[in-house]
Amino acid sequence: MPGTMDGVDVSQKLWRKPLDAEKVKLTKAKIQIITDLCKGCGFCIEFCPKKVLERSDQINKKGAYPPRVVDEGKCAMCGFCTAICPDFAIYTVEKTCEGSSKDGEDK
Amino acid sequence: MATEEKTEREALRIGVYVCHCGLNIAGTVNCEEVSHFAAALPHVVVAKDNRYACSDQGQELIKKDIKEHELNRIVVASCSPRLHEPTFRKACEEAGLNKYLFEMANIREHCSWVHLHEKEKATEKAKDLVKAAVAKVALLEPATETEVQILRKAMVIGAGIAGIQAALDLADTGYKVYLVEKEPSIGGRMAQIDKTFPTMDCSICILAPKMSDVGRHPNIELFTNSEVQEVKGHIGNFKVKVLKKPRYVTHDCSACGDCVEACPVTAPNEFDVGLATRRAIYTPFAQAVPSTYIIDRDMCLNKEGLMACDKCLKACEREAIDFDMQPETLELEVGTIIVATGAEVHDPSSLLNYGYTQYPNVITSLEFERLINAGGPSGGNLIRPSDKKIPDSVAFIQCVGSRSEKGKHYCSNVCCMNTIKDSLLIKEHWPQVKIYVFYVDIRAFGKGFEDLYRRAKEEGVIFIRGLPAEIVENHKTHDLWLIGENTLQKELYRVNVGMAVLSVGIEPCQDSGVIQRLFTLSRTPDGFFMEAHPKLRPVDAPTGGIFLAGCAESPKDIKDSVTQASAAAARAGILMAQGKVTVEAITPIPIPENCRVCGLCAQVCPYNAIIVDKERKLVKVAEAACAGCGTCGAECQFEALHMRHFTNAQITAQIDALTEEHADEKIIAFCCNWCSYAGADFAGVSRMQYPPNVRIIRTMCSGRVSPAFVEHAFARGAGAVLVAGCHPGDCHYIDANYQTQKRIERLWKKMEGLGIDKERLQLLWASASEGERVASKIREMQATLNKLTPEEVEKSRAVFARNHGRG
Repeated sequence: MPGTMDGVDVSQKLWRKPLDAEKVKLTKAKIQIITDLCKGCGFCIEFCPKKVLERSDQINKKGAYPPRVVDEGKCAMCGFCTAICPDFAIYTVEKTCEGSSKDGEDK
Repeated sequence: MATEEKTEREALRIGVYVCHCGLNIAGTVNCEEVSHFAAALPHVVVAKDNRYACSDQGQELIKKDIKEHELNRIVVASCSPRLHEPTFRKACEEAGLNKYLFEMANIREHCSWVHLHEKEKATEKAKDLVKAAVAKVALLEPATETEVQILRKAMVIGAGIAGIQAALDLADTGYKVYLVEKEPSIGGRMAQIDKTFPTMDCSICILAPKMSDVGRHPNIELFTNSEVQEVKGHIGNFKVKVLKKPRYVTHDCSACGDCVEACPVTAPNEFDVGLATRRAIYTPFAQAVPSTYIIDRDMCLNKEGLMACDKCLKACEREAIDFDMQPETLELEVGTIIVATGAEVHDPSSLLNYGYTQYPNVITSLEFERLINAGGPSGGNLIRPSDKKIPDSVAFIQCVGSRSEKGKHYCSNVCCMNTIKDSLLIKEHWPQVKIYVFYVDIRAFGKGFEDLYRRAKEEGVIFIRGLPAEIVENHKTHDLWLIGENTLQKELYRVNVGMAVLSVGIEPCQDSGVIQRLFTLSRTPDGFFMEAHPKLRPVDAPTGGIFLAGCAESPKDIKDSVTQASAAAARAGILMAQGKVTVEAITPIPIPENCRVCGLCAQVCPYNAIIVDKERKLVKVAEAACAGCGTCGAECQFEALHMRHFTNAQITAQIDALTEEHADEKIIAFCCNWCSYAGADFAGVSRMQYPPNVRIIRTMCSGRVSPAFVEHAFARGAGAVLVAGCHPGDCHYIDANYQTQKRIERLWKKMEGLGIDKERLQLLWASASEGERVASKIREMQATLNKLTPEEVEKSRAVFARNHGRG
């Protein structure tokens, strides 16, 4: 059952949830989208290495469909979306309160 | 050697010596009569019978006669050439005669011993065999053996404990060694294991020093994360292409680990069997050699050429990370190769009754090793996965994937002792834990093994004979019920435990098929690599210059792996120390005038020793790679390969001699030197009696037997023909006997088409120990002969005489 388990990618062969999966301190991200700056180019959706975003169905002020977050727990905070957004419409910040939300369960 | 060739193109002067072998031969065969008979054969100048031809006097007599009578061909009719051919060849050489001008007639194992009560027929048979030998010896040619230089460099494939030991031994002897490992670190399975049996020393503690020796050794060049892609050449001169995959971390890495902190991607660590995590940039384990990091590009966010994340780059002060690193292909030249590619452990998830992957507290023995290891994911605490608590009872289930219809048939050799060791480890730390071992048989056969087994019993480990039929989980507590039959007490059991350990077996590597093709190896039906001889050449591969070590050859423990590795290193070292080998002059010589460059010979060669140059219309034989089986010669339709010492003309002359009289009463048998001829020898040694009408012609491999030989025998009026070889898969020449099978099947079809009873051509697989198999086949064929009518013989004679000649 390939997929993710507490943010860890597991494969068919290594199927077990690692014992230290909960102890792994990865920075949890909060993804901020300034929807009205977005012109709907979709770069962030396309190039996100963890496929965290998808197109929303809400039209913004510019008449575009900005992205929305599918699975914030998967975000690795690489910052690539920020780097490639032509409109400065997306950025990530580190989540402060640790472990409060239980996101990133297996699909 | 040049003086030996004086015999060439001189008039034939043949000497025949008929040995009494005490009464071994003379008790059945009238040796005097045979020698008188021989004296009358063409070109025979001297024919004598002798009590013991192999004795010093016997040999002196031959040597004296060679000089006195200017003999230039020698036939000795005595025992099997497998026994004394080297003796007489040497005697010939000492008398100045080329050793390839000698031939033996086997009138003991194949005649006197197997026809003890049919003295007249045995004498007639002995005459026939001598006649055939004289016919062949007349056509023999002097030959010199070529020397092949051996490069004094070695390659070791696989750097587990076997590969490490082999590499260190060779490097310490003074040879340059290339050590190639697929994984990012050397160490193999032994690095994953906690303690070793029976001494209970710490595995990594004894392995790590050897690993760092490898890393430091001036004679060892280590290639990790690398794979062999192509092997060309032959013994002494292999050209190996090695693909060095990029690590994306340069030599500047100081292994500080700052990059790991920064890496945002986690994955289960293979080294911990997925019980712990690692990052996309990682080192497999603390003692890894080389002590450097590697980026798993399949995990890393920077896939498909996109640089999405630069966190490790930024974290690395020494700027040792290079995402542009490219794979490199290296071409290395070596004289010898040691294959130590190891094995894998059985995946028990297919055994649904044990619930592995369904029940968290069912683990494998390899997972157990990581759990009990102080450097492992639980810090050495034996915690069960469901609640991370130490279980109050543990069950070990033996033979999971071994000795069973559901897995492999063989015994994996190490699991019994591994379990006993594991049970003692638990008792050492947590004496209150109740331990059950469910077994089929406990195999504690090695040095110190039985003591360890006894200790485990004394410590209170409960051994129950009979594997559980099923494991059932209590969904609330995740405790396990083991249900089965205690076969010693003949009662059913239901045992409740906190955790179950499946003692999984050892399996051949998944890529052993690839390795087999790369190095022209052969595998046993179990899938492990086969040795050249199971008793006397246990570390040699059938291909010259290649040796085997460790679990790639068969499941074995650390001690045996190390022993075998040192043996393989010594065997490789012998070749390299000598610096050259001679190749027996039984290799083919292409005859360009006849060759049509069709390439069929190259296709059937088990050693890839024939190089077809379509452009220059040339076929070349790499003599050092050729083992002389002759299957190319049998495949060639155009007489374009001169199979030295077993030429078409020589074998045809033998057939002619044997079919001169009463051909219809005879079985002409072609037996391969290694299995079926040896099997017939064994029948002789064991005095198994069979009808005396069979006449055996020796070839190196049954693959040498061209369909033309069979047809020729029938055309000469032979009653029946037998072709015998090694069992499929056991061929001394890897797989040459598959060609035999194909050819015989074609002949059968042809015979059917021509309306000839195909029972008259038989194919037999018999090993060197299956004398009775050979004997009973001959008895069976004799029955066919008895039913044969003269019309039938005449028909096959006429049909094949017409058919024969082909071109």
